[in-house]
Amino acid sequence: MQNKLAQVFKKSVEIRVFETMIASLADEGKVPGLVHLCNGAETLQSAVCLALNSTTDSVTGSHRSHGLALAMGADPYKVASEILGKADGLSAGMGGTQHLLAPEVGFLSSNGIVGGQVPMASGAALSAKVLKTGGIGVTFFGDGAANQGAVLETMNLAVALQLPMLFVLENNGFGQSTSAEFASGGVSLLKRAEGFGLQTYALDGADAKDCIEKVETVVTSIKAGEGPVFIEASVPRLAGHYHGETAAYLSDCGGQTDPLKILNDHIGDISEGIWRETEALMVDVMKRASAAPVPSQDLLRKFHTEMGGQA
Amino acid sequence: MMLSISEALNKAHHQLMEADERVIVMGEDIVGGAGLGKGEGLGGVFGVTSGLVDKFGANRVIDTPISETAFVGMGIGSAMTGLKPIVEVMFCDFMGVCFDQIFNQAAKVRLLSGGRISVPMVIRTTLGAGDSSGAMHSQALHGLLATAPGLKVACPSNPADAAGLLKTALEDDDPVILMEHKGLYSLEGEVADDLPPVPFGEGQVIREGCDITIVAVSRMVHVANQVADVLAQGGGEVEIIDPRTIMPLDMNLILKSVQKTGKLVVVDESFGFAEMVISRVSEEGFGYLKAAPKKVIPLHTPIPYAPGLEQEWLPSEAQIVTAVKELVGE
Repeated sequence: MQNKLAQVFKKSVEIRVFETMIASLADEGKVPGLVHLCNGAETLQSAVCLALNSTTDSVTGSHRSHGLALAMGADPYKVASEILGKADGLSAGMGGTQHLLAPEVGFLSSNGIVGGQVPMASGAALSAKVLKTGGIGVTFFGDGAANQGAVLETMNLAVALQLPMLFVLENNGFGQSTSAEFASGGVSLLKRAEGFGLQTYALDGADAKDCIEKVETVVTSIKAGEGPVFIEASVPRLAGHYHGETAAYLSDCGGQTDPLKILNDHIGDISEGIWRETEALMVDVMKRASAAPVPSQDLLRKFHTEMGGQA
Repeated sequence: MMLSISEALNKAHHQLMEADERVIVMGEDIVGGAGLGKGEGLGGVFGVTSGLVDKFGANRVIDTPISETAFVGMGIGSAMTGLKPIVEVMFCDFMGVCFDQIFNQAAKVRLLSGGRISVPMVIRTTLGAGDSSGAMHSQALHGLLATAPGLKVACPSNPADAAGLLKTALEDDDPVILMEHKGLYSLEGEVADDLPPVPFGEGQVIREGCDITIVAVSRMVHVANQVADVLAQGGGEVEIIDPRTIMPLDMNLILKSVQKTGKLVVVDESFGFAEMVISRVSEEGFGYLKAAPKKVIPLHTPIPYAPGLEQEWLPSEAQIVTAVKELVGE
């Protein structure tokens, strides 16, 4: 377990340092789009992805998915280049911060439509089932997506078709600036999932050890054909909806405990070295990504032609 | 052999599923009777998927809940991870509930992945008014769908094209929407046993003529043909072009015909397609035109239910005759 905790810590630090540096670049005006940071959810995402197989399992995520792409093993240089709109990006700068695709490491796609990524993961689950790969489909979404028809429909579909699928609801209490309490009717989101016939688990996203253990059990049960599972994990949102936001509701975000700090304290002596090494690595990544060339106009013209555009 | 459109499509499904284990079929009631334990039911509301489950099993022939957003999205995800899904959306009107998955998800994966992956999925759906199905089971949305970069759209008018376009659609790396006319399923035509693929972006000259060009797809090809028969009795020579695919569109064939005739009428049951053809001919073949092109399209309203009103809404033979006569003279 100590080894797994160290792996989760290392990955979480990678995500935190990566996003902190992206935020600085955004402050300098070097990021073309608005970035949505996952501060507070890193340990949960790293713990879940630790239990997954990047060859056979497929993950989809929301617009807040820099961390998930890294947690599945995407190359930080390619992710950074994509966010900066550079030719060396995952998709040569065509997708950007909200549309990260790294299918080569099992990160199928993130999504600009709240909840739009959830049905896609059911397709990955179907492929795994039909092609008997032993893999599963996994989707991450927030409490803001929990009221989207696409999400609710897919919860039902996964049960009706008995798909090998894991739903991970990251409940950070806010859909943009609207509180989850206000937006969601009913007793609880977990009860909702139970109503669809999903097996459900509640996780404290700040308890990395518990997350690692429970997710391992859950993934094993899904792979054994015991049906789809729904996890609701509580995570803090330590920053705004997007980086740079200054709305009044943000005062409610303050004062929450940072799960990464808890894990840091638990890890002990080795933590300082990990921070230091990661920072050095990411300084180099950001330097190279900042210097990378922008995508060529020819690439866009190529898509134009391929998609039937007028000559 | 002579087959109807539904028979040709059914045969094509059998051949495609036989040839490649990655091909799966999903949709509402495509098996029918799911959960009732009484054996196969409908085989799709128009019988196109009949017999598939007995041969290929419920693992590959999947009845879904009535959840278009979820199962179209499932089709997308499965296509991105190794399967070749044929997804049936029972009526194209139902795309209204899964617009996001089609327009935002399926259509954009190729670009958003930088060209690394796309969505090799076929959505089969129906179009067409004329049977009092009302405003929400009768539309023709090929004009609208063809405006979304990333989608390909095919509208067969006969059995050989229906089967052949389905085959090509499934081989394509990108999402393709195959639109089958509800009123044409029983239309019979000669079909080769191996159902050869029909290439995208290659239209067909349905009949040759030198007086005027009519561009039409799907059922309107047949309506235009009847008009051409009538006009032929008075010596009029109408050329009819069936582009077969809306996107990509065989502009070369259309322009070649307009170069010969100098006159163009587009007859269509959707909104957008006739406008698109006329706009492109005006841009790319203005010098060929001897008169302003005309379109014969429905009234700009939702589709009414009462039979008399529905016929009033649809492009009619009389309207086509009028348009042709205005261009070529009596």
